[in-house]
Amino acid sequence: MLLWIVMAVLTAAASLTVLIPLGRAPRVQTVASGGAARSIYRDQLDELARDRERGLIGDAEAEAARIEISRRLLNSEAGATTSSGTGSAYRIERLVAVIAVPLVAIGLYLFVGSPQLADVPIASRATEPAAEGSVDDLIAKVETHLAANPEDGRGWEILSPIYMRLGRFDDAVRALGNAKRLLGSTAERESLYGEALTRASGDVVTDEARAAFEKALKFDPQDIRSRFYLAYSLAQSGKKDEAISAWNALIDSAPTDAPWLGAARAELAKLQPTTTVPAEATVTPAAPGPTQADIAAAAEQTPAERQAMIEGMVGGLAARLDAEPADPQGWERLLRAYMVLGRTDEANAALARARTALKERPDLLTVVETAARDIGIGKD
Amino acid sequence: MTRKQRRLTLIGLAGIVLASALGLVLYALSDGITFFTSPSDVLATPPSPEQRIRLGGLVEQGSIVKETGGIVRFAVTDGKATVPARYVGILPDLFREGQGVVAEGKVDANGLFEADTVLAKHDETYMPKEVVEALKKSGEWRPEDGAAPEAVTQ
Amino acid sequence: MIVELGHYALVLALALALAGGTLPLWGALRNDTRLMAVASTTAVAQFILVALSFAALTYAYVVSDFSVLNVVQNSHSLKPMIYKISGVWGNHEGSMLLWVLILVLFGALVALFSANLPLRLKALVLSVQAWIGAAFLIFILISSNPFLRLHPVPFEGRDLNPLLQDVGLAIHPPLLYLGYVGCSISFAFAIAALIDGRIDAAWARWVRPWTLAAWGFLTLGIAMGSYWAYYELGWGGWWFWDPVENASFMPWLSATALLHSAIVMEKREALKIWTILLAILTFSLSLLGTFLVRSGVLTSVHAFATDPTRGIFILIILCIFIGGAFSLFAARAGTLSQGGLFAPISREGALVLNNLLLTAACATVLVGTLYPLALEALTGEKISVGAPFFDMTFGPMMVPLLIAVPFGPFLAWKRGDIVAAGQRLLFAFGAAMAVMILGLALMGTPAALALFGVALSVWLMVGSISEIAFRVKLGRASLAESWRRGAGLPRSAWGTAVAHFGVGVTVLGVVGATAWNSEEIATLKPGEAMSIGAYSVTMDGFVPLSASNYTGTAVRFTVREGGNVVATMEPEKRLYTVPNTPTTEAAIKTFGFSQLYVSLGDIGTDGATVVRIYWKTLVTLIWIGALIMTAGGALSLSDRRLRVGAPKPARRAVPVPAE
Repeated sequence: MLLWIVMAVLTAAASLTVLIPLGRAPRVQTVASGGAARSIYRDQLDELARDRERGLIGDAEAEAARIEISRRLLNSEAGATTSSGTGSAYRIERLVAVIAVPLVAIGLYLFVGSPQLADVPIASRATEPAAEGSVDDLIAKVETHLAANPEDGRGWEILSPIYMRLGRFDDAVRALGNAKRLLGSTAERESLYGEALTRASGDVVTDEARAAFEKALKFDPQDIRSRFYLAYSLAQSGKKDEAISAWNALIDSAPTDAPWLGAARAELAKLQPTTTVPAEATVTPAAPGPTQADIAAAAEQTPAERQAMIEGMVGGLAARLDAEPADPQGWERLLRAYMVLGRTDEANAALARARTALKERPDLLTVVETAARDIGIGKD
Repeated sequence: MTRKQRRLTLIGLAGIVLASALGLVLYALSDGITFFTSPSDVLATPPSPEQRIRLGGLVEQGSIVKETGGIVRFAVTDGKATVPARYVGILPDLFREGQGVVAEGKVDANGLFEADTVLAKHDETYMPKEVVEALKKSGEWRPEDGAAPEAVTQ
Repeated sequence: MIVELGHYALVLALALALAGGTLPLWGALRNDTRLMAVASTTAVAQFILVALSFAALTYAYVVSDFSVLNVVQNSHSLKPMIYKISGVWGNHEGSMLLWVLILVLFGALVALFSANLPLRLKALVLSVQAWIGAAFLIFILISSNPFLRLHPVPFEGRDLNPLLQDVGLAIHPPLLYLGYVGCSISFAFAIAALIDGRIDAAWARWVRPWTLAAWGFLTLGIAMGSYWAYYELGWGGWWFWDPVENASFMPWLSATALLHSAIVMEKREALKIWTILLAILTFSLSLLGTFLVRSGVLTSVHAFATDPTRGIFILIILCIFIGGAFSLFAARAGTLSQGGLFAPISREGALVLNNLLLTAACATVLVGTLYPLALEALTGEKISVGAPFFDMTFGPMMVPLLIAVPFGPFLAWKRGDIVAAGQRLLFAFGAAMAVMILGLALMGTPAALALFGVALSVWLMVGSISEIAFRVKLGRASLAESWRRGAGLPRSAWGTAVAHFGVGVTVLGVVGATAWNSEEIATLKPGEAMSIGAYSVTMDGFVPLSASNYTGTAVRFTVREGGNVVATMEPEKRLYTVPNTPTTEAAIKTFGFSQLYVSLGDIGTDGATVVRIYWKTLVTLIWIGALIMTAGGALSLSDRRLRVGAPKPARRAVPVPAE
């Protein structure tokens, strides 16, 4: 509302700038251009006198110039005309001021403007649930870091689960592919890679994904994630019996509290409708990785929750390392995570904790120290 | 001097200035300009070693070799033909493999392009106009991956 | 609300510009004072409205309002405040708004401070200005609107090209625009004179301060841009004959010519038609400059807006204004009365020579800039016209001009005495010859061309001092007498001498930096050193950098001369985080008027870094000279006789309309 009032005031003021001169009594112009011209010619005569006094020009030339300037001076006075207002009613002109100006302005504004939108300064958004940008910022920071150091495999590895959680599966595939290439294949990397591929192709286990899972099983025949997806893929390709036996094998080997057990049973149930399935399993399917539901949730997460998720991942790693410090690679990953997130203080604190925890294991500590130097922490 | 003579003097002066300007321009246009060529053009009709050319294309993947003393060897390609190039100096910040590049210099007798100026694109989405055209001509233009084909620039 | 108000103010300014373009013109044709008076009030109101609009956009940048598309595209909440503000005009839309802001500012200045300008002339001038303003406002609102909004609102902006994140670039466009747009005033005066069919000495006197001011801003803007390119692009070059540089250089050449021909016009009422033509030409070249930069027909560093539809829009504006102006010129030029006579050897003659050479030089630059475009459009053949072309054409045109410069002020109006002028310049000639001979003796013939350049600059500098020395009778009268005479000289005479001296300084800088420029390149590891000229430069080590919107590495170098440490330098490589762009920041150290320039190449994994070092002899004189030229212009501008609207001495007070 205020906007429209201020706009109305501006428009009225603009119309007035046209109306006021129209309404003023006509003034007879006392000095036409001749007045200004006269002062210029007088200046020129003064300058001529100066030049002659200084000897820059001879007397004859000076006299000729004086005559010429005087002639122009007379001309300018002859040419000076006065003009006066006609005193007509200015009806059309007033209409222009009162109607045309506001009409053009409002009309064009309604065409190009967005009066319904309020200002959104960044400061006002700090009061929103959380600085939404911050998660994106953190990701952007890591991405920037990786753009500059594309050979930093650990960086890619840290980034990949975040991509997965955010549903950016193609990016996750790329990140994991790089991590695998730079850090070497392990069961976990291969199976995560396969999972990302599967997600990226809309939960279809592609040949490439299957190859990754199979490779993972070569490193670790018991890798749950790979076995899960391979069973899933058997069902997808119509090999029902093989799928059933794969699921059964998987379920049998699982500890009873495995979080993915329900999902596995649900998949099995789809293949064997007659099998009795524990009720809770159908209610809470949970894949080894984040499920569709998780991802949907992540997409709908508030920024605070997303932030919390990343915090949680880093925090979890930190907690694990405090419990089992004999894992130099883990420490390196933690330090790197803090650094790429820009939390130098926490990185330094973590390094200090590592130093205390690994006092008895100088061999492991050396690895951590070397890594820290590479990352750029604890130079002092 | 009469009014007419004065006027003729002025016109004569103007004529001399304009004629010499025109002469200089024509002379310079025959000598001081650089033709834009693509690697295909260079291979098809090799320019003489004295002729300066402006070579545009993509920096071929895996072609950059940095030697001591700031010498850089790379190859410019338009997908159909590839010209090896050599440059001494500091390359633009955005000079990378797989990216658009325009280089000025001469092609020596061995077909090596001795660049004295290298211009790379100035941001992630910018591609020198000539390079786009050259790539379009050789059928290598894929606007959807205007950026680098590899993940290194992400 | 503030953003939308700014948007509305812009639209309202357009409505007023249309009214202010039509009513006063109609009034001038009908000789109606009330209608003519509308010009002034609407001109001031347009300025207030556009200023409001510009303030609103600036506000959106300052508070990082990402509901505005323009802010999203060109800002980032983490950007330092100064670059948030300079980001307002660091992009196409904002810079066009700045362009219009300056245009209406000048219109308002004419309206407010030209009390003794005849009402009719003022009404015509302001309505021409209003039409230019209206055209550009339509252009902004339709094709380059900075107030477009976004909903939903993005959370972060996309930053500004890091190359453009620089103090130099923050002030370069406004200066250049002040120059470009300043030319619109002399254009408006020229059109007004053509419509009116009257032109006299008073006209020239009113035009001259505007031309001088525009010329001064152009000089500063070009110098600033050149220095920016020099230190930011990392190639150590200060002028590239890049089409965008040419786009600002052509109006400068033409404005310089106009500046000189307006003097003839004022003093002698000669060269009327030519002066009008130059005024039209200068503004046309400014518009062409805007077109060349904005349309993206040229690809260069500066072309940060590349959108052909905008280009076509500007092309239409260009055709309407330039075409219209030249048609009006063709139709009305014949009605202007003839001016005074003069001999070929006279002050007028010298100024004509200046004009001829400047316009011919301007034409060669124009050909060099547009020829590749025309050739490509006609034959599809692609060429690039670079420095060799301009060295071959522009250089030779400048030499006779520079030789002639010192003669001009020594020649009398109407009929001059070249022999007498030559005698008065003997000292300058002797100084130039002495430098040349001394140089040849020391450096030998290979340096002859460079020494000729140095001699030319000495000739210019000493020649302009000689003029003042002669006029104050230095050495021929007592010092007190000379002082008195010096103080009595019109400021415009001082201005001329200072500006011509500045030209000499710039020439010296150009010659020095071109002829005695040395360059070394090497791969260094920490602890290693390389030498250039008398200096040895040691690489000490790496310093990590971190700022709110970039990270990077600086390399510390110690510069020694004869074993003594004279400086430390830290060139940088930066990586701007959004968008992810690397840049190189050169380090520059000034020794006297010369500079040492260190730029970094790749930093290898083992710390081996490619380092390029330049020694640029006298390079700073290029820009110092430009500053001196501008100071000369400012001095001339402060001459009270030229100050339009300045109170006149009481003894010849003339009645002034109470505006």
